[in-house]
Amino acid sequence: MAQSPARVVLTSGFSGCYTGGVKEFEIEAKTLRGVIKALDELYPGLGEHLEEETTVAIDGEIHEVGYHQPVRPGCEIFFIPKIEGG
Amino acid sequence: MPDTIKLEEKKLKVIGTRPVRPDGVPKVTGLARYGADYSLPGMLWGKILRSPHAHARIRSIDTSQAQALPGVKAVMTSADLPEQKFEYVGPERVAVNFWHMTRNIMAREKVLYEGHAVAAVAAISSTVADEALRLIKVDYEVLPHVIDVDEAMRPDAPLLFADMITRGVEPAPGKPSNISKRIELKIGDLEAGFAAADEIVEMDFKTAPVHQGYIEPQGCLARFDTDGQGEIWASSQGHFVVRAFTAQLLEMNIGNLLVHPAEIGGGFGGKTVIYIEPVAAVLSRKTGHPVKIVMSREDVFMATGPTSGAAMTVKIGVKKDGKIVAADGLFKFQAGAFPGSPVMNACMCSFAPYDIPNVRSVGYDVVCNRPKSAAYRAPGSPISAFAVESVIDVAAARIGMDPLQFRLKNSAKVGTPTVWGPKHAHDSYAATIQALLKHPGYTAPLGKNQGRGVASGFWFNNGGESSATAHVNEDGTVVVATGSPDIGGSRASMALMAAETLGIDYDKVRPIVADTASIGYTHVTGGSRVTFASGIAVIEACKKVIGELRARAAMTWDVDVDDVIWEEGHARPAGKNMGRFEPLSLKAIAAKKAVTGGPISASASVNAGGVAPGFASELCDVEVDPETGGVKILRFVAAQDVGRAIHPSYVEGQIQGGVAQGIGWALNEEYIYDQAGRLLNAGFLDYRIPVASDLPMIEAVLVEVPNPNHPFGVKGAGEVNIVPSMAAVANAVSHAIGRRMTELPMSPPKVLVALDSGRGD
Repeated sequence: MAQSPARVVLTSGFSGCYTGGVKEFEIEAKTLRGVIKALDELYPGLGEHLEEETTVAIDGEIHEVGYHQPVRPGCEIFFIPKIEGG
Repeated sequence: MPDTIKLEEKKLKVIGTRPVRPDGVPKVTGLARYGADYSLPGMLWGKILRSPHAHARIRSIDTSQAQALPGVKAVMTSADLPEQKFEYVGPERVAVNFWHMTRNIMAREKVLYEGHAVAAVAAISSTVADEALRLIKVDYEVLPHVIDVDEAMRPDAPLLFADMITRGVEPAPGKPSNISKRIELKIGDLEAGFAAADEIVEMDFKTAPVHQGYIEPQGCLARFDTDGQGEIWASSQGHFVVRAFTAQLLEMNIGNLLVHPAEIGGGFGGKTVIYIEPVAAVLSRKTGHPVKIVMSREDVFMATGPTSGAAMTVKIGVKKDGKIVAADGLFKFQAGAFPGSPVMNACMCSFAPYDIPNVRSVGYDVVCNRPKSAAYRAPGSPISAFAVESVIDVAAARIGMDPLQFRLKNSAKVGTPTVWGPKHAHDSYAATIQALLKHPGYTAPLGKNQGRGVASGFWFNNGGESSATAHVNEDGTVVVATGSPDIGGSRASMALMAAETLGIDYDKVRPIVADTASIGYTHVTGGSRVTFASGIAVIEACKKVIGELRARAAMTWDVDVDDVIWEEGHARPAGKNMGRFEPLSLKAIAAKKAVTGGPISASASVNAGGVAPGFASELCDVEVDPETGGVKILRFVAAQDVGRAIHPSYVEGQIQGGVAQGIGWALNEEYIYDQAGRLLNAGFLDYRIPVASDLPMIEAVLVEVPNPNHPFGVKGAGEVNIVPSMAAVANAVSHAIGRRMTELPMSPPKVLVALDSGRGD
């Protein structure tokens, strides 16, 4: 049985720069590595930008971008600007 | 991610206690070594010539007389630093452009603010270096300047960069401006939201740029060998970042640069960037001698980054039942001389505590002739919170609702969408409001000329890359090394978490901060990340040590390692049927380390995720002197969700420190410029941060909602405390005088003007 894909969302700034304005994607993957790989295949070079410049929120929980992060079927993944503080 | 230790199932023995910090005695006896305390034989003194103008083109620099002065060993200008590529690299919110950074370290084509570094010397004494600076001749073409953010955005404003085209605008503007970037975040239907509102409140606000006010000015010592390898001793919030930036600006391999972490006398975000390290390094390379540079307080004010000043407009629409249905924020932030204000943080944090279906946040990053802004405690969030929480206060009054109940009704919960996209995954905000509602201070009577204000705030907190090593010494004590400079008591926190994990006493753990060659990469001490992220690295390293201790015990007992458990600091048999063995303490196992396999040590490096954000709600009572306009803080209660307080005293200290800074920001702190753009108050006498006699005892209320993603429930605790403070004070002052205060600082002259103006909500 096919698993339900994850809903993957980029920021307006990111989509404006790298995907021609496309913000939302549906991707089937087991880990964040799979998500990044799929996006990089769609937009070559995007993967590196995601790895270097974003933090990821998976179902609202904020994580550093790491290949190992598990991706639950049907989850929501937002790539957001990396967080820095004082 | 390590297994979560079920707090309700595991009784904590060490965490939550309040032992003396390991670095306490050296710090109070003067033995701790800060950036300025390091010296080496043959050391020279470096000094920096700074611009007297706010904006000027550099026609020429003549260093010949300075170089000829006896005792001067080297003179440098920007020509001694390699040019950098113009590109924004790294995260969008804090993108670094080394073309800008090298120009901030030392001006090239133009000086962009008073105090901008122009040249530097290395000499045998501080006196000779000062004299040499006076002999450097700089030919300036003075240019018109601009300080204020609104003026800098005008089409006819003097331009800092003739080719700056605003990013984030489609189509791209045809003309350059001082607006570096535009940001827009949006959810829902703003127009429909406001159309559904019964009341709409819209107000303008202005805040002054303020300095972090760390007590220790930047100081460093650099030593370079002829083989190109170098060492730096510096006070910073992250010696790995000092290494990375300095190596980039000097075109060095990172491996050839070793950075030692000095103690740090405050940073608050201001020491996450560099100013003097590449200069000392170049002078050391040129002379073959170690070179020390120490900033004066005047240098710190004129040339290091404060946080932004801002002009803001916030509008919210609310139903009569108290539900906020729409919110719109416009945030214009001064970046200083180079792009990079925290305006994106401001846009993201502004309405984050609230469940509002229709929201827009628009931000502008604007350059002006002031020092380049730097991070300051929850960068950006306190500024936008001042505006938003003031409007919330007015809106609550408009519909006749208690301001805390109004916030509670609209508080974000798990699943509430944020303006930047994801839904909230944690909902401890309401608990901080409830803590204030229950506090007796909230209903205590007020006297004449007194007022009460409340406000709330949000900050992300951070995780990220950290490394730790745990070494078991032969007497059973343990050294725990991390790469996180200790600013707020993190040595104590690391020792507590190590002791709890290993099951040993706190005083058996010696925590240290290791240099860049002795520990794995560790990101800055900033973003309220260290107790969370470095803490996970420490716990992971200690778990590996436990694994090794169990293996050594198994070897001693001739059993399988799976038959050995670690409990309360001892190896014990896993079950009764495996034989009778006396438990082996960590000390006993350490004593046999040689025959069981050698030293016992383990390292862990993590990229820690699963951070939980911080929420805080604060209550402030003030009394205003109607004759002088002076504001006295009578009471301040700060309720903050801290996850789990590893060392409650230091968490309380973080809260008190953040609030004290927020009170200074609210009431007194500002840069005062003359008509030529020269700073008139570059010292603590005239730039007035709060002192102890200005403040009551700030009451910290620790709301503990553990983070399920950390073994001990840790959330960042260092920053969110400052977010509501200015708004809480402003709301209190506004209620005391019956006039709405919309501009910071609310210094006595401004309060008097408001009292005389008849301006109301």
